[in-house]
Amino acid sequence: MQAELRKWRATFEVSWTNHLAYRLNFILLVFGPALVFFFIKYNLWKSIYTMPGITVLQGYDFDQMLQYQLLVLIVSLMAQGHNSMKLADDIRLGRISSYLIYPFSFFKFHTASFLAFQGIQVLICGFTISFLMIIPLVTFSDFNSVMRGLYFASLVSFLWFQLQFLVGLLAFWLEETWILRVILMTTAQFLSGAILPLEFYPQSFVKFLDYTPFPYLTYIPIKIFQGDSINLLNASLVLLFWSLFVYAINHILFKRGVRLYTAAGM
Amino acid sequence: MIHAKALSKSFRSYIKQPGLVGSVKSFFSREWTTKHAVENFDLEVQGGEIVGLLGPNGAGKTTLMKMFTGIIVPSSGSVNVIGYKPFERSIAFRQQIALVMGQKSQLWWDIPALDSLHLLGSYYEIPEAELKSRIAHLAELLQVSDLLKIHVRKLSLGERMKMELMSCLLHKPSIIFLDEPTIGLDLVAQKTIRRFLLDYHEQHKPTIILTSHYMADVSALCRRIVLVLDGQKQFDGPLEKFAQILGTEKFVKFQFAESQNPNSESFQGFKATWNPEYTRVEMQIPEKNLRDASIKILTNHAVVDFHTEKLAIERVMDELMSNPALAASTQNHAG
Repeated sequence: MQAELRKWRATFEVSWTNHLAYRLNFILLVFGPALVFFFIKYNLWKSIYTMPGITVLQGYDFDQMLQYQLLVLIVSLMAQGHNSMKLADDIRLGRISSYLIYPFSFFKFHTASFLAFQGIQVLICGFTISFLMIIPLVTFSDFNSVMRGLYFASLVSFLWFQLQFLVGLLAFWLEETWILRVILMTTAQFLSGAILPLEFYPQSFVKFLDYTPFPYLTYIPIKIFQGDSINLLNASLVLLFWSLFVYAINHILFKRGVRLYTAAGM
Repeated sequence: MIHAKALSKSFRSYIKQPGLVGSVKSFFSREWTTKHAVENFDLEVQGGEIVGLLGPNGAGKTTLMKMFTGIIVPSSGSVNVIGYKPFERSIAFRQQIALVMGQKSQLWWDIPALDSLHLLGSYYEIPEAELKSRIAHLAELLQVSDLLKIHVRKLSLGERMKMELMSCLLHKPSIIFLDEPTIGLDLVAQKTIRRFLLDYHEQHKPTIILTSHYMADVSALCRRIVLVLDGQKQFDGPLEKFAQILGTEKFVKFQFAESQNPNSESFQGFKATWNPEYTRVEMQIPEKNLRDASIKILTNHAVVDFHTEKLAIERVMDELMSNPALAASTQNHAG
């Protein structure tokens, strides 16, 4: 057990060292996509709300929409920062060979790297929330909601990690997986409520989405941050179910995929 | 240590005709081809041996290494390495093997080698104090103590290869797979690594399986050669026997102070290749005549330098590669 913990700790340390090796790259990687996306959306909504006759859309006035989009930024920083884009390249270019030889499983290595990254993300997220509260651009009903929101967003990050991993593993079969990644990202953005709050979609469609993991990626964490009365235990169990479901698929995919691995270029 | 029986590995890939038309055609209808990288390969390796896998590019050497280390799964046949089926990749198996790939770095590129070594130390469950002492010892032997804290990407190829060797020897593996460990290195670095490997083997007696295109590596390290051509074993035996599979003639070079008469009696009866000035000759002399013929030339001609071929296996490999038909005749030598 102690030896196993040492392996995890050492992987954390190397991941942190790796992430922090290039300062500018790291800062851009962490803040870039979410921040750019936020500013695009900010300008877009500002233009929409300055159109004549539009003050409230589906129950959201401009300030509420801004709050919503800022929370999207926080949730995406906290839960969707990690990407395993490298995994597909590593498989395709035969770079996972070392991990098949070291006595620390491939899955554990990637999970430990993800957790290390997530540790950094929590700090960054804490900093971002504090900054947005001081300005003040974002307001929370109470401290408890913030903690509940952070907790839930952490759970979401596991599901997101598993989904990304799934797409990465498809590189065992497909030579290029970037388009699948784009499809996953775009679908997730739309269906999770990261672009539009789910109130904007037809009721029947939202009901259908309840049977998918998508609302749990953005919309529900935002509602928790906003202090809405969402049963945290139930939501956590649903998220856990989806995470375990995707994890099980990943496990099967890896076992089958690695039999096709050719370690190209070695 | 290694028991492989009828081991085979095939890879399937599709053929695409060049150009846009070819791309469009292959989009709708793909023609597939199967390459048999390794076919019906038998191999027995005893503990402590150093075995050289020789063969041209694409012969199947690296595919064998990948199967022995469990990186890829064989298409058919059986393989057992130190009592384990490699492709099951049990942790106990991984604890006892090491692989160095000359063409691929296994160290983390963006961090100092020391960080990678500490990470690997924890993976191999080496106690902290022991790990520090092993790192210090290996670094001293390879003369890289002052490079441990430098980012791997900043190291030269030779320095990086030394770090790769350190990382694979940290856990004292019982079997080491070296895939082109000296590729691209200068002569001094090649020699240093060969010397180090010999010393390490002498001290710890691990089994070593080596592939290299440098015959100097093979002749310095291996006592046993396995020749692989087109995925099949063509020779398996001692290094000395390999050097003789195309005949026992010795290749001797003589350098003279002045022009010689190539029709002189001393040079008759043997195949001789002269330079245009007739001041240098390379002769192929049967082993049994070597002593007498050499004495005759040394006595009757103004010889300023002479030497016998240092790397006979290099010539054998050259000839086998330039004339693959010869390989068939070596079949009889396969052990």
